[in-house]
Amino acid sequence: MDNTAAIGKIVAQAGLLVLLGPLVTGFIQKLKARLQCRQGASLWQPYRDLAKLLRKGTVQSDSASPFFRAIPVLVLAATVTTTVMLPVLWAPAGAARLPMGDAILLLALLALARFLCAIGALDAGGAFGGMGASREMTVGLLVEPAMMMAVFSVAVAGGTTDLVHLAARRGMLPALAWQAPDLLALFAMLVLALAETGRIPVDNPDTHLELTMLHEGMLLEHSGPGLACIVLATHTKQIVILTLVAALFFPLGLAEGSEPLEIALAGGALFAKLFALATFLGLVESSYAKLRFFRVPQFLGLGLVCAFLALALRIL
Amino acid sequence: MEVHKPSLRGAVWLAHLLILGGASAGATLALRVLIGGAGTLSLTLPRLFPFAEMSLSMDGLSAFFLLVVTLVTAAAALYGPSYLGAHAKAPLVQTFALGGFVACMAGVCCAGDGLTFLLAWEGMTLASYVLVIIDTRNEENTRAGLLYLVMAHAGTAALLVVFLTLSARGQGFDFAALRTAARTLQEPTRTVLFMLALVGFGAKAGVVPLHVWLPKAHPAAPSHASALMSGVMLKVALYGIFRLGFDILAPADGPLPASWGWTVLIVGTVSAVMGVLLALQQHDLKRLLAFHSVENVGIILIGAGLAMLLSRGRGAEPLAVLALAASLLHTLNHAAFKGLLFLGAGSVLSRTGVRNMEELGGLARRMPWTTWLFLLGAVAISALPPLNGFVSEWMTFQALLLGGAKLGGASGLLAGVAASMLALTGGLAAACFAKAFGVTFLGRPRSVHAEHATESPAPMIAGMLLLAGACVALGLLPGYAMRLLDGPTQELLGGLGPSAVVTARGPLVLSGNGAASGLEATSISVTAVAALLALLAAVAWVLRGWPRRAPRRLAPTWTCGMLPSSRFDYTATAFAKPLRLIFAAVYRPRRAIARETGPSPYVVRRLGYTGEVVDLAETMLYTRLKRWITATAQGIRAYSTGRIHGYIAFVLVTLVLALLFFARV
Repeated sequence: MDNTAAIGKIVAQAGLLVLLGPLVTGFIQKLKARLQCRQGASLWQPYRDLAKLLRKGTVQSDSASPFFRAIPVLVLAATVTTTVMLPVLWAPAGAARLPMGDAILLLALLALARFLCAIGALDAGGAFGGMGASREMTVGLLVEPAMMMAVFSVAVAGGTTDLVHLAARRGMLPALAWQAPDLLALFAMLVLALAETGRIPVDNPDTHLELTMLHEGMLLEHSGPGLACIVLATHTKQIVILTLVAALFFPLGLAEGSEPLEIALAGGALFAKLFALATFLGLVESSYAKLRFFRVPQFLGLGLVCAFLALALRIL
Repeated sequence: MEVHKPSLRGAVWLAHLLILGGASAGATLALRVLIGGAGTLSLTLPRLFPFAEMSLSMDGLSAFFLLVVTLVTAAAALYGPSYLGAHAKAPLVQTFALGGFVACMAGVCCAGDGLTFLLAWEGMTLASYVLVIIDTRNEENTRAGLLYLVMAHAGTAALLVVFLTLSARGQGFDFAALRTAARTLQEPTRTVLFMLALVGFGAKAGVVPLHVWLPKAHPAAPSHASALMSGVMLKVALYGIFRLGFDILAPADGPLPASWGWTVLIVGTVSAVMGVLLALQQHDLKRLLAFHSVENVGIILIGAGLAMLLSRGRGAEPLAVLALAASLLHTLNHAAFKGLLFLGAGSVLSRTGVRNMEELGGLARRMPWTTWLFLLGAVAISALPPLNGFVSEWMTFQALLLGGAKLGGASGLLAGVAASMLALTGGLAAACFAKAFGVTFLGRPRSVHAEHATESPAPMIAGMLLLAGACVALGLLPGYAMRLLDGPTQELLGGLGPSAVVTARGPLVLSGNGAASGLEATSISVTAVAALLALLAAVAWVLRGWPRRAPRRLAPTWTCGMLPSSRFDYTATAFAKPLRLIFAAVYRPRRAIARETGPSPYVVRRLGYTGEVVDLAETMLYTRLKRWITATAQGIRAYSTGRIHGYIAFVLVTLVLALLFFARV
């Protein structure tokens, strides 16, 4: 009984994240359009795009291997799997939870998705795919350790890397017990979130110009339902990263039980957090230019240094 | 080239089957000790020397390393005969060298005294040397073999000092006597001995900066021997570090000296990062894999160093157990996936004759089994879930994080730095294997060799399947592997075994135990996550075709309107270029572009590109050392006149000086 309820909650919040993912993208696009004094597409446009892609046929490269067809599905599965590791609406404090995964597994699954995506890009045998894969793996390997350290700096204080436990423990504290390491780690996470969600100044999600694209370059050879899977994975990854930041630093309003009021409150809190973080992404994207690729390491270095300082302050 | 007679091939098969039988017997014995509760097995050998008894003994640690040896040996024995094929050079010599090599490695792991240990150690070096230089047509192999021999013997010299110092004090060579002798030593002396052992074993294990021979020698051997050298021989050297550091040289009680843990942790971190950075810039598939061995030895040493820092002598320190278990598990994991990858590379090499990945490509359709098994190994070594590489790295992360918080201060900070470097290593390894796999197996074939490649014969696939099975099983059912680690960790650290610490919540759940600091453990279940991943993939696969059965058609890859050819494929050099520029301080990249123009300078006829990166250890250390040795040798030459009475005078002077010096003592 207890387990069934727990599984039900996990499935519910994972499903909620996957469903909300495209909406966050739609919101950021809308915000950007309004800041540019345009009307912009509807908030629901990403859903329409997905529906359109799902209905289309597939054109596949004739030099790709049989594995190429499985890649979008695996990328989507790896990304969606991360959603069960996050506290979205519920964070049962101290209760024996079904052990699924922690922050390390979450980041490793995102790395798996990236690795598979890069393999798929090299499979078709075009220069764009290889270029995109090379750049995305490069950015990824710079982001991953820094993000890991930012997570560790919070985890050292909480004594666990389990995000649900971390959120539950922090959520109980009255004033969040914010300390200097938290500020540094939050700053690092915000810098890294820009890179991990593929946004300006690191990547530009709106471009298909070969000189500037990172993530999009890897997707050129995918089409139809396969592309829909990868696009959905991209939306999901974005909301997962935002929820990760929220879970680490703003674990307020998470429900413990399943009373309607509690859940409504948790839902409101979730929307507020996502709204704030998505606004941040949209504002940064509207007010900065994309960095030259070889300037990106310096930008990410900022995140790395802050994350390291946060961890060092915690340990010392 | 001559084709061997069927009788010769029969003999090669028979010898390999004997090796396989020996490996199975060894594995059975090891498992009996590890989970059958057989206690310590020992065997007295016939007395070869008047001054020492020789014996074999197998406790938990020996049994665990024997298991590692036998796992890869079994795969290599299945793989070997077909790999040697009809055209190998001196196949019987290779087979016997392989058998001797494996037997000596098992001997090192099971030695009960210092003498047996050193003899087996030396045999291991010589047998593997034969395997490195067997292909004498290649001058480079001979030079790699010489470098290997020199480095290995420099290491052995350091080990001799350690063992002779201890045996002179202990009046015997057996490990019990050595242990007693070590306890009578002062701490500084013990530390000096440990550092010497670290140098001696480190030279064999390939830790930075003693790794320069490794990427040259390992690829030179036949691929199944490379798998053994990289997957197992390095582990045998690590066995030496574990045996001496935690057991023989360790103080009777109380913690290990902090300097040991610091040194091992720093050496491990540097090896991990440097190994993978250099691996990224290699185009030779086997050389790339050899550099990854340096990286993985580093990861194993990170766990070992942390366990040294955390250990409090005889008493249960769950975090030290976690760190040591992570380190030992990674030893087994690395043997499985590195063996698999080397066998995969060998499969490519034997079907195409090419090791340079720029000339490969398009093998996924021509060699499907090799391709997908190599991909499995690539995912495992990149520490990606849900395979075994992730499990041991997760445990290392937990140990570093919780251990760092517990240690605090400078040691804690060091653990934090190691954790971040480990994360960087994981990312670099993933990039490296995306490159290695993608460029070698995907895209279009870039040479005739790759174009005409066919799948390897079944015995070779069987060898790879065995190791791939181990990778999957160790990844999905890590809790069962923990039971293998109970014996070794309890012998080295005492207290609880990892099956009590790491899998406290059931065999399928891993937990990083923070109980020591009064907190609940972090638990993950790789099994559950893998099941969820598979379920979601199946659901997505079904849903993708659900809205409308839209047509699927094939078309050429988009190449901006030009005719697609293999020249459009991204090369390994290009793939690694961003990292070459970002880490230019480490690589010191050099490139030269040769431009051949026609009558007008604007018409370019040919463009030549050569680029290279350096191994800092090689240029900063070894080139200078070589220069110094050459200069010294030149200086000595002035006195080496060739006249016999001059030499007699030197001998006499040396003798008199030696007598004066030692007569005083």
